[in-house]
Amino acid sequence: MRNFLGSGFRARKSIGDVTFDIINNIFWIIVLFIVLYPLWFVIIASFSDPDMVIQGKVLFWPKDFSWIGYEAVFDHKELIRSYGNSIFYTLTGTALSVAVTMMAAYALTQNFPGKKFVNFLFVFTMFFSGGLIPQFLMNKQLGLHDTILLMIIINCVSIWNLMISRTYIMMNVPKELYEAAIMDGASHFSYFFRTVLPLSGTIIAVLCVYYGVSRWNDYFTALVYITDRKKLPLQTVLREIIASLTTSTSTDAFFDAYADDIQGMVDARRKAAVAKYCAIVISTGPAVILYMFMQKYFVKGVMLGSLKG
Amino acid sequence: MRIKNNLVGKKNQKFWQRAGRSFHNNWQLYVLLLPAIGFLFVFNYLPLYGVQIAFRDYKAAFGILGSKWVGFKHFVDFFNAYYFKRLLANTFLLNLYGLIISFPIPIVMAIFLNQIEHKKYKKFIQTTIYVPHFISTVVMAGILYLFLSPSNGIVNTLIVALGGDSLHFMIEPNWFRPLFIISDIWQHAGWNTILYIAALTGIDPGIYEAATIDGATKMQKIRHIDIPHLVPIVVMMLILSCGSLLVSNTDKALLMQTSGNMSKSDIIGVYVYQIGIGKAQFSYTTAIGLFINVINFVMIISVNWISKRLNQTGLF
Repeated sequence: MRNFLGSGFRARKSIGDVTFDIINNIFWIIVLFIVLYPLWFVIIASFSDPDMVIQGKVLFWPKDFSWIGYEAVFDHKELIRSYGNSIFYTLTGTALSVAVTMMAAYALTQNFPGKKFVNFLFVFTMFFSGGLIPQFLMNKQLGLHDTILLMIIINCVSIWNLMISRTYIMMNVPKELYEAAIMDGASHFSYFFRTVLPLSGTIIAVLCVYYGVSRWNDYFTALVYITDRKKLPLQTVLREIIASLTTSTSTDAFFDAYADDIQGMVDARRKAAVAKYCAIVISTGPAVILYMFMQKYFVKGVMLGSLKG
Repeated sequence: MRIKNNLVGKKNQKFWQRAGRSFHNNWQLYVLLLPAIGFLFVFNYLPLYGVQIAFRDYKAAFGILGSKWVGFKHFVDFFNAYYFKRLLANTFLLNLYGLIISFPIPIVMAIFLNQIEHKKYKKFIQTTIYVPHFISTVVMAGILYLFLSPSNGIVNTLIVALGGDSLHFMIEPNWFRPLFIISDIWQHAGWNTILYIAALTGIDPGIYEAATIDGATKMQKIRHIDIPHLVPIVVMMLILSCGSLLVSNTDKALLMQTSGNMSKSDIIGVYVYQIGIGKAQFSYTTAIGLFINVINFVMIISVNWISKRLNQTGLF
């Protein structure tokens, strides 16, 4: 922490620079506070006693530590089931997306007849689409409406991710390796699996985060396509909790459903005050933790994509 | 004659040999591309075929091809609709204000971050400011509702403690845009620094060293080194953002919409979803979607053309 105030006061530091460093540090302390405080508040509220949260006595530290909200959340069968659904959709969907994207990205680094046309097919979808309603009707005709399959394969390829991956392969897998492989009589398949994939760890990690997080966070797809409540993902169920907040300010219809009598109702409402914070914590946790783990690869990979973009 | 025939034959043979070899080398590439193209076909190109219902009176019983042609009826209906101007204005203004207010913030952040010399501190800031980007829209809206609740939200608790009256943030129409934009900045401003940080990292350190030897202060370095280096990319980003001024952020507006703030939160994407999926007016909403997609397409192509003219760099 020696260098906390700027740069450790090396020789010849002008007054102007010292002032700048002080202002810069104040700036960042304020920004970090703005970024972190809402997140911190959600966490401490989720561990606090509902009455303390309602009265606004929780500010910087949990008050009257309790698990009551988490108990309410884990008792909520629909929430837990949707959590399982989301894990399943995210794992399968991400694996599929990464595989399909890497295969196509590799093919686009090679020359072949019709490449221009294929490129056009991909890029065009970035700029023009039929819109929500035709897609909805087509999926219905194909029998994809309200199926688990749809939740896994929809939005499978992001063209943006495809372009990043193609650039990554072009820049990080040396051309000489390809020539050597051809000399040995290797096919595209064996070259892709034995050489390209092992050299693409960074971009695969980045793709996992991009696809994984966007799938985990998506509520709209299920809102449009899923009617069977057993298939709903977490975010769509969370949305209902939030919708129950919008219709009225005092009731929490969502958690009320689990109460048997009046006393149960009062308890349920009390719990609901913190249960919403708990729901936010358990739903956001996986995405943030995934980002934290992959963070090392991430900055590098994203920079690379954006530089080319 | 015979000799000539022979030559032609040889040429042909060579052509077919080459074509054969090319296919022999390339069929595996086509196989690798096939799944991606297949998914695009189902989810992007089939709906393009379905877009024709914008010009028909779609009835599920008759199917797409069996429904009656009505020409531009649905488009005309939309232009004459009571909500037409409001929808267009709400969509446009939300994006415009959002662009004006949030655009400069990541640039300032990137410049300030670049001046931090302590590596670990810099890394810590960078990692932290990306975090809100990974929060889902549902959770973002949830945080807004919880924090701004008139009865027990932390913001109103503070307002009351300071002697004010609690405000109904989520119901008051005039709070819709500020809340939408501020929460967007909170979530994405940090993430959006990436591009500018990348541009600043690309500057030759020798330039900074030379400036330091010449006795330049940090402010001078920002003015004469950082800003000139950022200008091209800033101009490009600004122009490209102008291309999406009529794109709806349906996910978020739908979550933040309440019966109270409809007059500001009703944007095109939300309307299409509610009337199309909710009330099954498929042809009408397809026409609205097509109308707006064509405008967006023309806009993005034009801004890209302008950006290429100015910068020699475009999106594609």
